[in-house]
Amino acid sequence: MNGAINFTHGFSHGVEWGWPIAVYLLLAGISGGALIVALMVRYYKKQHEDTPLLKAASLVSFATIAFGMVFLVGDLEKPLYFWKILINYNFTSVMSIGVLAISIYIPLTLVMCLYMFEKEISIVLAKKNTLVSYFAMIMSILTRFRPLIEVLSVVFAVIICAYTGFLISVLVRFPILNTAILPALFVVSGLSAGTASASMVASWLFKEDTHSSDLKTLHTIEWPVMAIEIMLIAMLFVSLLVGNEFQKTTTVAFQSGVYANLFWFGVMGLGFGIPLVLNFALGKKIASSHIAFYLSGMASVVGVLCLRMFIIYAGQTFGI
Amino acid sequence: MENDGKRRAFLKVLGLGSVTLGGAGYTLMADATQEPSKAKPHYGMIFDQNKCVGCTDCEVACKKVNAVPAGQARLFVENKTDPATPMEKKYVRVSCQQCEDAPCVKVCPSKACHRDSKTGIVTMNPDDCIACKYCIVACPYDVRFINHKTKAAENCNFCLNTNLAKGKEPGCVEACKYKALVFGDLNDENSYINQILHVKDSVRMKPTYGTKPSLRYIPVVKVGV
Ligand code: SF4
Ligand code: SF4
Ligand code: SF4
Repeated sequence: MNGAINFTHGFSHGVEWGWPIAVYLLLAGISGGALIVALMVRYYKKQHEDTPLLKAASLVSFATIAFGMVFLVGDLEKPLYFWKILINYNFTSVMSIGVLAISIYIPLTLVMCLYMFEKEISIVLAKKNTLVSYFAMIMSILTRFRPLIEVLSVVFAVIICAYTGFLISVLVRFPILNTAILPALFVVSGLSAGTASASMVASWLFKEDTHSSDLKTLHTIEWPVMAIEIMLIAMLFVSLLVGNEFQKTTTVAFQSGVYANLFWFGVMGLGFGIPLVLNFALGKKIASSHIAFYLSGMASVVGVLCLRMFIIYAGQTFGI
Repeated sequence: MENDGKRRAFLKVLGLGSVTLGGAGYTLMADATQEPSKAKPHYGMIFDQNKCVGCTDCEVACKKVNAVPAGQARLFVENKTDPATPMEKKYVRVSCQQCEDAPCVKVCPSKACHRDSKTGIVTMNPDDCIACKYCIVACPYDVRFINHKTKAAENCNFCLNTNLAKGKEPGCVEACKYKALVFGDLNDENSYINQILHVKDSVRMKPTYGTKPSLRYIPVVKVGV
């Protein structure tokens, strides 16, 4: 008897969470992803010096998460009341959990930046003698905890990437969002955008050779990560395709209209196609050029942005 | 077709029966709030599709009672008349379902959206709302909105701080000339709402979400639905 009565009119006006949230999700993904890959490379290669990659990743992760917060808070209708979250903390809310994680994560990325740029900061502070000595004191304490801070950074970077997926996967009204695959997809796509961003910044700001051993390592893990990403997207699509009546109707999002274009041209074409073509289809010479390095990096980042946009917009458009 | 007619006649008898029954057992919810010794109330509402004529008096009353800004609404009466049978009018109430297991309460990061401790009604503290819209996207029924004036999220709260606070029935229930709306305490065995629920089949909207709505709908039933 349950189908006997129903309503289709809702009070929200289409997409309630718009592009600022999608941009925030991208920036949080880049932030977490960059830090994860750089620290993983460090552990894997047992590095002790501060490599250009780690410098770039620390800077990227702090800058993107801080910038992301601007979008997140800016999207609130009452941004000046943001602090209420911290006072009226709600443990059942993914948003509250995320805010707590962010308030630990941002300081962690900041401390990572302090480790990386200790010398530079000292030089800037050198004009004020008292400040330099304070800074030196703080750094001597912080340095003792560096191994711990690094481990915590990796852990929280994963949490940040994953929570953004959980944040929207609890929205039961929207079949595209309400899947267990989403958090995994967000971690993996965060890794690929983070890898691309950190490598570009390492080469551009810190003059890392694009063929250095670190960037080569990243370059080789890039492809498996991309493969997993494609696989997760395929799983998401198939789970909708074979799902219930409502899930099936959402597959239109992949098949026609603006969102399908966003998906096929943005996510697939730009995000996966361009890097693949640049690196494999046009010969060794182009593949190892600087232009290809930056172009394919940018394409990956824009592709992940398109993925977030697609998920946010198509997800909320195809509600039940 | 023949079957159809019989069924309708049967329902008519049932409907008349419940009106007489209801008159006798009618209790106002105000009693429950004044007697703390009773079990905690669980307020519910019935929308009877057989009685609703789509006059939207309830919509108008709700806006007035709760000072809902122009162009916005806590309650909407949707016309669900099947175009194939335009003479058989069908309307349905769209409003907060007052879920027992409410996703809006669960996701609100600032606890602005909460369950009232005395009545158990899902309601808002507009001062604590940061207007993140998480509750709006989390509500499976899409019945929340950001009030343009207060800049806070809002839902039907059974007139908790307006009519109910004054010991009156909710505005929409008061306004309904056709008695399509019934409000009362589901935990009170003798309440009119329970008497109706005992004699009539009612459904909850989209029960698969597992949110246990406190709103019940009595649909117009036709064979073949
Ligand atoms: S219907 Fe929506 S707004 Fe109302 S209690 Fe349920 S989840 Fe909350
Ligand atoms: S919009 Fe307001 S009530 Fe809704 S979840 Fe955000 S803070 Fe809570
Ligand atoms: S109970 Fe009150 S708030 Fe809810 S729809 Fe009726 S009049 Fe509006």
